[in-house]
Amino acid sequence: MTERSVDVEPAGENVAGEVPVEEPESVTDDTTVHDDDVELERTIGLVGGLAIGIGTMIGAGIFVFPGLAADNAGLAATLSFAIGGVIALLVALPTSELATAMPRSGGGYYFISRGMGTAYGAIVGLGLWLGLMFASAFYLVGLGHYASAVFAELGVTLPFSPVIGIGLLFGAALTALSIGGTENTAKLQNVVVGVLLVVLTGFLSYGVLDAVGVFGGGTVPEQFFSRGYFPVLSTAALVFTSYLGFAQVATVAGEIKQPGRNLPLAMVGSVLIVTVFYVVTIFVATSAFGADQLGQFGETAMVEVARDFLGLPGAVAILGAGLLATFSSANASILSASRAVYALSRDALLPRKASEVNLRYGTPHVALLAAGGPILVLVATGKVELLAEVASFLHLVMYGLMCVALIVLRRRDPGWYSPSYRVPGYPVVPAVGALASFGLIVFMQGASIGIGIVVMVVSYLWYRYYAGDVTLKGDI
Amino acid sequence: MTDRPSILVPIRVLEGESVPEGVPELLAHAHVVLLGYHVIPEQTAPGQAQMQFEDRARERLDEYETMFEEAGATVERRLVFTHEGQKTIDRTTTEHDCLAALVPNATGPVEDVLVAVRGAVGIDRLARVVAGLFGETDASVTLYHIAEDEETDEDVGTLLDGLVDRLADLGMDTSMVETRVDRDQEALDAIVETADGFDTVVMGESDPSLATFVFGLPADQVADRFLGPVLVVQREPPRETEE
Repeated sequence: MTERSVDVEPAGENVAGEVPVEEPESVTDDTTVHDDDVELERTIGLVGGLAIGIGTMIGAGIFVFPGLAADNAGLAATLSFAIGGVIALLVALPTSELATAMPRSGGGYYFISRGMGTAYGAIVGLGLWLGLMFASAFYLVGLGHYASAVFAELGVTLPFSPVIGIGLLFGAALTALSIGGTENTAKLQNVVVGVLLVVLTGFLSYGVLDAVGVFGGGTVPEQFFSRGYFPVLSTAALVFTSYLGFAQVATVAGEIKQPGRNLPLAMVGSVLIVTVFYVVTIFVATSAFGADQLGQFGETAMVEVARDFLGLPGAVAILGAGLLATFSSANASILSASRAVYALSRDALLPRKASEVNLRYGTPHVALLAAGGPILVLVATGKVELLAEVASFLHLVMYGLMCVALIVLRRRDPGWYSPSYRVPGYPVVPAVGALASFGLIVFMQGASIGIGIVVMVVSYLWYRYYAGDVTLKGDI
Repeated sequence: MTDRPSILVPIRVLEGESVPEGVPELLAHAHVVLLGYHVIPEQTAPGQAQMQFEDRARERLDEYETMFEEAGATVERRLVFTHEGQKTIDRTTTEHDCLAALVPNATGPVEDVLVAVRGAVGIDRLARVVAGLFGETDASVTLYHIAEDEETDEDVGTLLDGLVDRLADLGMDTSMVETRVDRDQEALDAIVETADGFDTVVMGESDPSLATFVFGLPADQVADRFLGPVLVVQREPPRETEE
């Protein structure tokens, strides 16, 4: 068993006089050890890690974006998803290195606060918390669209659009379930992801064969760049929300067994798997209908694609899969947001009270409410594209800074930094990863960029006010 | 006194489980691996529970540690926050090379010990636990075997005599050791029934089988039905293989 010592000493105190919790003594394959006789058990294996990553990502990319993306970029939306996948991979590799060096809860926030100091850490940490809320709200609105489509399928016509109402309902239910439910949902998550992958593989295989003309119904693809070149990049920025999940694996890094092996495999593996699924999905969807018509179907375009191929059973299968996928994405994001709150409160950047554990249920009710409450407000706006872009913005800032943190740490080379996985192609990969992450932000809508910048400024001001004396950076 | 057997004592430290009466005396000659653990739902990071509950859990463990030490045991302790209690127990057993784990139930002074002997597999570990714990006490030990149809009396005799010899090798006074054999009975029921007249039971951990998945480990079932403490002798850990 490998055992490594951890030698980062946080210091200082916040306005309320709370100091950061001491760092653990060492990290083993099975535990994080504090003071020699207190251990935190690691219980998530490789499959669990992959399920978190894929489960968080696949809901958005396949079940919400195809229609929107095709509307924006035409057939070239396929390329947009591929670009997103390449950027995600460029970030997932450095993140893997950081995660094996610091397999602790909090993910990107932890790496950046230890590598680059408290100010960057606070901006990223608070941004991650809020970014996950935006992401969650986005998934919930997507879920609302699918649930509404179910009503439409049943022939029930409602006098109003139920999308937002259903999103709110599920948001509230999910928060309540997370606080009060103690069933083992991790196993369930694994099963859900497995079922999704099987359904999608079957559906997409049929779709690909059909698209290349095996069943005689092939349509001739239209012009690839039907909307021009610029929309390819702006669409890549929009759909990047489909690639946020691998960082959620890092937020539970403290609970992953054999982190040196499982973290890189889970992160890089989940990015590769979903990229393939996304690209094939868009290819199949656009070849079935053409971009214009697909765009008109909006969020639930995949249901129409399935109906076109397989009739009503296909539509029902994809409806069910869409509900499952968006629900599990929203759930995973709420839980990650609560982990982010814990990591911040552990380091005295948020009140200790925020990560308090409920005595009756053993769940962090304050942190979960702090995630669930604002999510409802965001869902109420119902703006899918804006929610997605702000979530992507805040994550991309973190991704870029993670790549920078890796370069900083490699150059300073402190004694405690000894990752068991080292990124290939250093320094090119992290440098390109950072540039690409920051670069993608430029292609977003003005409103998304504005909201993102406001969140960052407020985060920084909060840090100056609340925890200006706290130092978290590792020894040099 | 040589070679105290390591015995794992798992306690769900924050859920009102404590060291029951009589258990420290039962383990007076053991090296106690005191495992205080707290199972948390997966919505909660283990570190989060640690932040809030560590102090309280430590106080309790301090108390228990003193109880065991006063009874004469040597104690090593761990406090673990976990999502899966069983994984924690298994890992701690392996890491600390524990011969047996205790299912803690209350008992009076231990005078009669029932040792359920299943077969020759793992018998050496069984002997080390029995000799280590009871070799220097006044407790009488009954080796109990439920013979199967195809087993002859000689087979059973060889098995039990071998164990008695092994106990003698380990320095036990064999005049305190009796043997008892039953036939034509369902093993679990027989053990539980016989155990009624005893203060504690020592038995092996059975190989996982289909029945295990349906009904749980036999040792757990015995522990559920027998109200005294049960010492479950753990299987030999698999040899370290190359990765």
